[in-house]
Amino acid sequence: MNARLQDLLAKTTSHFHLNEMGLLFGLCVSLLLGAAWAVDRGNFKTCNQSAFCKRQRALKPGQSPYRALLDTLELSDSRLTLQLINDNNKVHLLLELYRLQGNITRVKINELKPLKPRFEVPDVLMGDPPTEALSVLSKDDNGLVLSLGVENQRLIVSARPFRLDIMEGPEVLLSLNSRGLLAFEHLRLRKDTQADQEGAEVKENIDGAEQQQDEEEKAEGVGNDKEEDGLWEETFKTHTDSKPNGPTSVSLDFSLPGVEHVYGIPEHADSLKLKTTDGGEPYRLYNLDVFQYELYNPMALYGAVPVMLAHNTQRTMGIFWLNAAETWVDISSNTAGKTVFGKMLDFVQGSSETPQTDVRWISESGIIDVFIMLGPKPSDVFTQYASLTGTQSFPPLSGLAYHQCRWNYNDQDDVKAVDQGFDQHDIPCDFIWLDIEHTDGKRYFTWDPHKFPQPKEMLQGIKDKRRKMVAIVDPHIKVDSAYKIHNEIRDRNFYVKNKDGGDYEGWCWPGNSGYPDFSNPEMRAWWASMFAYDQYEGSMENLYTWNDMNEPSVFNGPEVTMYKDAVHGNWEHRDLHNLYGLYVQMATAEGQIQRSGGTERPFVLTRAFFAGSQRYGAVWTGDNAAEWDHLKISIPMCLSLGLVGISLCGADVGGFFKSPSTELLVRWYQTGAYQPFFRAHAHLDTPRREPWLFGPENTAIIREAVRQRYALLPYWYQQFYQAHKTGQPVMRPLWVEYPKDTTTFTIDDEFLIGRDLLIHPVTEEGARGVTAYLPGLGEVWYDVHTFQKHNGAQNLYIPVTMSSIPVFQRGGSIIPRKVRVRRSSECMENDPYTLFVALSPQRVAEGELYVDDGHTFNFQTKKEFIHRSLTFVNNMLTSRNLCPESNFSTESWIEKVLILGASKPSRVTLQMDGKETSLEFEFDASMSVLTLRKPGMNVGADWTVVLQ
Amino acid sequence: MELHFQLVLAFLLLSPCFIQTRRIRGVSMSYRRLYRERKSFLCMDGSRLIPFVQVNDDYCDCTDGSDEPGTAACPNGRFYCMNLGFRPHYIPSSRVNDGICDCCDGSDEFSSRMQCPDKCRMLGQKERRELEETMKAVNKGLLLKKQLIEEGALVWQEKQEQLKQLQKMAEDLKIKLEDHRRRKLKAEAEKEHLQKAVMPDPNSVEGQGERPGQAPHGGRPRVDQGSVFHSREKEGKAEIQEQHDPANTSPHENPVIREAQSAVDSAVAELQKVEEAHDSVQMEISELQEKLENDYGPEREFVFLLSRCVQMTVSEYMYTLCPFSQVTQKNSAGLEVMLGKWSGWLGPPDSPYRQMKYDEGEACWQGPKRSTLSQG
Repeated sequence: MNARLQDLLAKTTSHFHLNEMGLLFGLCVSLLLGAAWAVDRGNFKTCNQSAFCKRQRALKPGQSPYRALLDTLELSDSRLTLQLINDNNKVHLLLELYRLQGNITRVKINELKPLKPRFEVPDVLMGDPPTEALSVLSKDDNGLVLSLGVENQRLIVSARPFRLDIMEGPEVLLSLNSRGLLAFEHLRLRKDTQADQEGAEVKENIDGAEQQQDEEEKAEGVGNDKEEDGLWEETFKTHTDSKPNGPTSVSLDFSLPGVEHVYGIPEHADSLKLKTTDGGEPYRLYNLDVFQYELYNPMALYGAVPVMLAHNTQRTMGIFWLNAAETWVDISSNTAGKTVFGKMLDFVQGSSETPQTDVRWISESGIIDVFIMLGPKPSDVFTQYASLTGTQSFPPLSGLAYHQCRWNYNDQDDVKAVDQGFDQHDIPCDFIWLDIEHTDGKRYFTWDPHKFPQPKEMLQGIKDKRRKMVAIVDPHIKVDSAYKIHNEIRDRNFYVKNKDGGDYEGWCWPGNSGYPDFSNPEMRAWWASMFAYDQYEGSMENLYTWNDMNEPSVFNGPEVTMYKDAVHGNWEHRDLHNLYGLYVQMATAEGQIQRSGGTERPFVLTRAFFAGSQRYGAVWTGDNAAEWDHLKISIPMCLSLGLVGISLCGADVGGFFKSPSTELLVRWYQTGAYQPFFRAHAHLDTPRREPWLFGPENTAIIREAVRQRYALLPYWYQQFYQAHKTGQPVMRPLWVEYPKDTTTFTIDDEFLIGRDLLIHPVTEEGARGVTAYLPGLGEVWYDVHTFQKHNGAQNLYIPVTMSSIPVFQRGGSIIPRKVRVRRSSECMENDPYTLFVALSPQRVAEGELYVDDGHTFNFQTKKEFIHRSLTFVNNMLTSRNLCPESNFSTESWIEKVLILGASKPSRVTLQMDGKETSLEFEFDASMSVLTLRKPGMNVGADWTVVLQ
Repeated sequence: MELHFQLVLAFLLLSPCFIQTRRIRGVSMSYRRLYRERKSFLCMDGSRLIPFVQVNDDYCDCTDGSDEPGTAACPNGRFYCMNLGFRPHYIPSSRVNDGICDCCDGSDEFSSRMQCPDKCRMLGQKERRELEETMKAVNKGLLLKKQLIEEGALVWQEKQEQLKQLQKMAEDLKIKLEDHRRRKLKAEAEKEHLQKAVMPDPNSVEGQGERPGQAPHGGRPRVDQGSVFHSREKEGKAEIQEQHDPANTSPHENPVIREAQSAVDSAVAELQKVEEAHDSVQMEISELQEKLENDYGPEREFVFLLSRCVQMTVSEYMYTLCPFSQVTQKNSAGLEVMLGKWSGWLGPPDSPYRQMKYDEGEACWQGPKRSTLSQG
């Protein structure tokens, strides 16, 4: 059987066990017939196939039927409310405006009196965001002007038609409903389904759009009768959505004058800079298990973060559309499609209109709840978003090291052999992972009695090497009355219900499965308790967790997921679909914290995610393939996630489906070594690919890549500490640090780690060289391997061999490394540091050093950490305590200091504890590198090194 | 001042032995002379001369790592585990003081929190015990090998015997074959002669073509019968009597011709039988010869396998391996699939008899032909 078919069998149709059900067999067959290497697009909806998207998208820009009723204005300290009326159907909406701390404006629109409550997304915001006072500057019949406090910023509410404009001085930063695409489908009672009445109903379905629509329909000759089905029922393929609440979608448009570059709204396998969607499909946000996803298109993938960043040389802003239902995002631009020549012509003729990007969000249910983050700097937007949804969880140090995974390591002996393989070939490794085959018949929290009869023995063996393991725990639960987990969930009534009130059942790896209702806090608490050592048999403290299939993936469901009319307590699955994966990871991470009595930091990997998922662990880009384009796309995919708070991101090294060529595998290791979550993974049907299976030369190259990662772990750890404290991304697009340099705005084949490391991995087959853009006029960059200095603001051609990983350190930075690379990160705990001081042209540099125990919450609860600032100014390198109230001691010391771009001193002295000692040094004149030999101070100490 | 001086003195007195143990840590006996305390130390790659105090001072000075044999300072260094009582060996210096016991004498964790007990004596004993066991097993194996060679020799002898027998049979059959060929020719000649006698004008080519070896024409004079009788007289009474039976005397069924014809028929039949027998014996001979030409090892130690098949059941499949012949797989439904015929040995050069290859099996669906590797 050919590989494609096998893959298909293995993953999507998963499994001919389904034969038992005729219907499903049909599904299998149809999937097999449609077997192509890439995704079967027919399995997933286009906007046109999603009734609400089709209805909403049919609405064209024009005069909005919404009007603000200024006399309903109510203003408390921090909250302004106002009613809106749709002049076409007289439905009243309630507009709420808040000014939030940190230059954020919140706009909420709900029905004034909905027939029943509409869903408002819980558990994503860190709490009620702190507000600041709003004041009305002026008010007349046409509208009102509010002060936003900061920098002459005002919010203008126009009454007729309703629109909002945020101004700074004379400039409009952002407008809402300026194109009149606000559309709010109010809850209604179902009428009889006679033809004419249905027609009448249809006319009303998009609030406020009737007139335009009628006109357009007349103009275009499009009938408005049966085309508008899907209000009270909708069928896709063989699946019918019963839609008991009828049409409930919401939509709003945003205009961004002066903006040509927008980013974010992951997860899509697309370029970093978002494309315009005119004439094509909108970007879709709907968590789906997409088998063999295609690249460079706006199809939905496993996760969704409804946050978009808009950037120009003056300002960065963000739009956070807090809605967990199926969402589509349209982007259009008045400059898109214009050639460079055309733009120049506009410029020369002076006829150029301001470039503008227009964005439209459409969601199937819930309310409109938007946070407008006004920047102005990229870092401000990150801070603002972090203040709403929290920051990246601080992973245990080992989580940033190398992970070895495969579907599947066959048995305990296999695990042992792989562990030994790393030692034999002297390649560091922190984690070995177990996929679904480790379980007893895909019953999570259990072990296959034949292959893994002694899990604790195995885990102890791994622990003796100071390594760790991860076992998969998916949220689908085998319906089997002999399975404890199933029985408990059923008995406690914790399963998601189908529309008729029974336990919802769907097919996944184990066959017929139930799906716990993770939106229920009691369910989550129970789930967390299952990770206790006495509940999860065979688990130990060095066993961590991987949540896969949590979109949720349902093999026989519509679009391989759950029916939208399935029921979670008071809400439909439709309302909170995109939130399911976040809840699964939340409950699992909580379980890991609880099992240690609250002391140990968790490590949980998830495939599905939502805004706020950064608080619970790591994310990977799902089931990619062993192709060069998939290696390339890993960069924009993780960059996009980083922009919206999720820093701990990675792609399967080597590619999940198919088998990589040796060259591709080596290049992927080199790239992955410089991406946040560094895990190799492979499909069941692919040949083994542990890093030593490709000849001694390639083993050596891979070893070197992994060793570079381990040497840099102190820097990675410090970056994640920062991300945890501040919400700044770890893996950054260049424009984040060089926001005024337009060259950087579209770069997504290279990236920064923190501020100070620039990586341009080799992602082309047979490459002899790469051209990296080094940003920063007047800045310098140092090749980290040769210490060669290069000027900023230039395209630099770098010849490469198979062992090259082009990496540069920014002049002006100090990076700590641990160059004594060992078997695992834990083995390196007490090792000394080497400081790499890269001088700027002004001969200054600064950096930080963060140290703690690497795995507990003591850094938080007991302030047990060392956080130092390192500065080089006036030929003096100084270490200062950034947090005097912290306390932690370590054996680690500083064994070496390299100063790049230095000149030769006559003498070097160390000042510490009031004493001065002379230091030995060496100077390499060819590269201007000064090496201080064994200064020896403890990393926690205050000291100054003086060059004379 | 006095006290200070005393301390310095004490330090000077104590330090040599301290230095001694520190300096030589991680160095094997044979290299120890290179680490003798001198003023300076030359990196082993000759790249650098460093003060001797920098040897094993936990800072890497030599690019080859030779100045830090006893610490983890150099990325490319190696540490020598003395392992008294067991086998000494090198470990990468990254395993020095990493919290994991690597040397059985525990010497690699001299300054870590890990307490590594000295297990070398125990391991040495265990290894010696195992070695003894292995020797026993080897001896046992050698004995078994001898037995198997003997057994194989018997099989070999048997097969040789069989071959000889077959060859003799073949020779006999060959003689017989020639004899039968002669007889057939003779019978045919006689028949021809008779036919000419009965019908001197053998014009009808058609008839002869139609029924070769049978009397094609009628109207033969009775006179000729006598001559046939005569010529056949010596051959046997039964035939003679038959010849005398005048039951059918139509010109087409001349009894004399008929008799001659049946003589030809039986001669042909006899010849065919003998030919078949000869062919099958020849085939067996060549099969056997092929088998005997196989490589059975330098001492023909694998000959004994010739007469054996082994079976193994893996889940629903039963595999049957008949060495030097074929491998088959039978599923629980009884469907048998041939996985390959003997192709040859395929072990690595140092032990070629480790692995057998069977190929040219039944083809996979839309795929290559099945083949089997059997590993010993």
